[in-house]
Amino acid sequence: MAGILKYLAGVETPKTLVFGITGKQGRSKSRLMRKFGTEIIAGCTPGKGGQEVDGVPVFDSAAEAVNAFPQLNSAVLFVPAGAVRKAAIDAVDAGLKFLVLTADGVPTQDEIVLKEYVSTNDSVYLGPNTVGLLDTEGYLFGLIGGSATWARKNYRPGKVGVISRSGGLSQLLGAFHCRPNLPGPRADGSYGPLWGEDYPGLSAVVCVGGDPVPGISMLDAATAFEKDPRTEVMAVYGETGTTQENDLAEAVMNGGITKPIVVFLGGKFTKAGVSQSHAGAMIRNENETWKAKQKALLDAGITVVERPDAVFSAVLGKLKKS
Amino acid sequence: MSALPEYRTRILLERENVPLVNGVFVSPGEEHPSDLPEMPVYLKAQIPGATSRKSSGLVRRVATTEELEENLSILLSPGEWGVAEGVLIAEGLDLTAEYYAGCMLDFGSKERLPGGMLLFSTEGGSGVEGRSATLLKMRFSLLHPPPPEEIESELKKLENLEEHAAVAGFLKGMISTFIEYKLNVLEVNPLGVLKDGSILAVDCRAEFEKSAVRKRDMDVFYPPGLRSSRDITKLEEVVELINRDDPSGTGFFRQNRETPSEGAFRVATNLCGGGGKMLWEMTTGSRTDIFTMNESDTSGGLSAFKSYRILRVILAQKDAQVLLLTGSGMAFQNQHHLAAAVWKALRESPTPLPSLLRFGGTDEDKARELFERVSGTLPVPVKTYPAVVFPNAMVDDIRDMAGETVKIGEAYITPEGEPAITVLIPPGKIYYYPERWQKDEIPPSVKACPTGFLKWNKNALTTDPEAKCIGCLMCETAALLDGNAEILIELEMPEVVD
Ligand code: SF4
Repeated sequence: MAGILKYLAGVETPKTLVFGITGKQGRSKSRLMRKFGTEIIAGCTPGKGGQEVDGVPVFDSAAEAVNAFPQLNSAVLFVPAGAVRKAAIDAVDAGLKFLVLTADGVPTQDEIVLKEYVSTNDSVYLGPNTVGLLDTEGYLFGLIGGSATWARKNYRPGKVGVISRSGGLSQLLGAFHCRPNLPGPRADGSYGPLWGEDYPGLSAVVCVGGDPVPGISMLDAATAFEKDPRTEVMAVYGETGTTQENDLAEAVMNGGITKPIVVFLGGKFTKAGVSQSHAGAMIRNENETWKAKQKALLDAGITVVERPDAVFSAVLGKLKKS
Repeated sequence: MSALPEYRTRILLERENVPLVNGVFVSPGEEHPSDLPEMPVYLKAQIPGATSRKSSGLVRRVATTEELEENLSILLSPGEWGVAEGVLIAEGLDLTAEYYAGCMLDFGSKERLPGGMLLFSTEGGSGVEGRSATLLKMRFSLLHPPPPEEIESELKKLENLEEHAAVAGFLKGMISTFIEYKLNVLEVNPLGVLKDGSILAVDCRAEFEKSAVRKRDMDVFYPPGLRSSRDITKLEEVVELINRDDPSGTGFFRQNRETPSEGAFRVATNLCGGGGKMLWEMTTGSRTDIFTMNESDTSGGLSAFKSYRILRVILAQKDAQVLLLTGSGMAFQNQHHLAAAVWKALRESPTPLPSLLRFGGTDEDKARELFERVSGTLPVPVKTYPAVVFPNAMVDDIRDMAGETVKIGEAYITPEGEPAITVLIPPGKIYYYPERWQKDEIPPSVKACPTGFLKWNKNALTTDPEAKCIGCLMCETAALLDGNAEILIELEMPEVVD
């Protein structure tokens, strides 16, 4: 069975190029990705072409890498924020279909330019400022899990699709759905294990990132999960700023998304105009406030929880119904 | 987002050949130059982000040299407005019209691509929105910015505007400046029209993101030696300095400006990641009995060295009663390393706080174990939580913890000995005390080094130049717990915080 990338980017089996593989983070995260199962075929660092990192050949540009390995279809960028725009355009020009931009602090103008750039191509990208994507089919882009052993132990195949704007909560929502006997508040008001050994499990985790102009949006991710046959419920972490939750609500309202969704909506106490640790959480107009989003989601029939540990029993409730 | 005051915005506009009113900048303590513009002139105090400068007396028209001297010295001295970066002395011109022009970001929508937004109004600045006959609102591509002809044809749709070509040229220059420096906002207000029909920027300002500033433009965005008048506390400034010399991961720290309500528990927080921050906010945002002393976000794989230094700042907050640390529950930072940092900070801070610590992520069990082992020697009570316990449950313990009187455990007494080897690992030093390790085996501290940076060679400590110190504190932790304090680490703070 194909993983979520088939529906997100038209990529059945990812064959991946790592930008910045010669750097400290690039090297260690490439190891994590490979150990988890991602097929990393080549690396790219301008000026370091010809080298090898853990047996992976390094090229000066994406075009050269694709020339040598035409099967390449995806890339992950472990490059500094200031270098993201150039590297991403290089990857898109080389025809790579799916990119993950991990860097935090990419200038907003660069994000806007990238968005315009890919609009005329058929490439998509996740991020910036994302921990990436993990699919329990056996591939991982970015840094989810921290170590491959931890990631394998904590992310197990199942029925829940996770979408999140926060790296930490991407990981938490993903892993806790795979934890046997997870305690939490139950629907009847009691507190205790929500399930036994039969945890719901995970199809994939997609972290859309914490920035104001994300490539793949929450709605894009939800649309992919809608098509993914493994996914029965979506667990979503949303927050103030941007209109992603509003767009998701609209799609549910219009019948474009029909699978049940549970949203944990953060930022109830975020004040307008104040910068946040996620640049994208800043409220710029009244549609982007917590209240407006909560209303839009509820109006569309989406379950909204305000306590993070309430996500799991809500998801369980949806699974029982379906 | 940060603000750029007028005189520094002018530098950017000038570089893109945008015409400006004549002006000379004078900074405090500097003699004003002799080639001043002709009288009358305007004196404008330069304060980043200050609005309505006219009504608050920060812009003054003077007609004589005496008036100039007097007002200049007032504006250059500290006042209600804080400390100005300096004063811009600008020519007073006879303008036949005043317009408004601005560039900002358009974040787009599901249907519309994001881009830039050009605003131009023939009616001047305030409340430009909503006057469509005199307002041009033009979306533009940052990738392929519009040529002047395109701007000009848009301008022709406006009432009461004659200088179409001149204005279009000017706006083109503004757009170039906006894009060249990746600004978030660039405003010219007013844009003045002179009798001969030429136009120039009379006043201007900009907003920018730190991360968009290129190295070569640093002198404009962050002039050296500038005493900032930003709203920033002493402790926040220390964290900025820590971030500057150790950029690993995220280190965000902001103190609460509000006054705690009476009887509320005052909690200093170390929140890890946007997720940790959000969990904490969801738990306590509506509670009046808990006052969060500071927001923080330490995440993204920062070193334990950095965690320690930020924790020292967090613990130094006046009047805090407890420390609460939580991430989302799935941190990237190795939790054992983090625990070592917390332990060190509690040991070494002169103002340790009773602590509630929720560890979640790689080695979370080891993190809790560490505190089980050292609990008898801590200067304050500490309670640890596993990741499956959410912060709501921790909050219930704050009451108990805040009330606990500080009890001194049997503090660890370091054995005798002088350090013989010092290894420099900025921002600190590793000291090795050979007298404390007489056994014929590798000391636990060296064994604990995960990168192989510390090596044991013929009963002596060496370092491997090929390996790196990742600032994890594992060597010192093992020395204290399993060895004989044969290795100790001293970490420097950029400034004294206690
Ligand atoms: S010397 Fe080794 S154990 Fe000590 S802080 Fe550095 S990396 Fe960690």
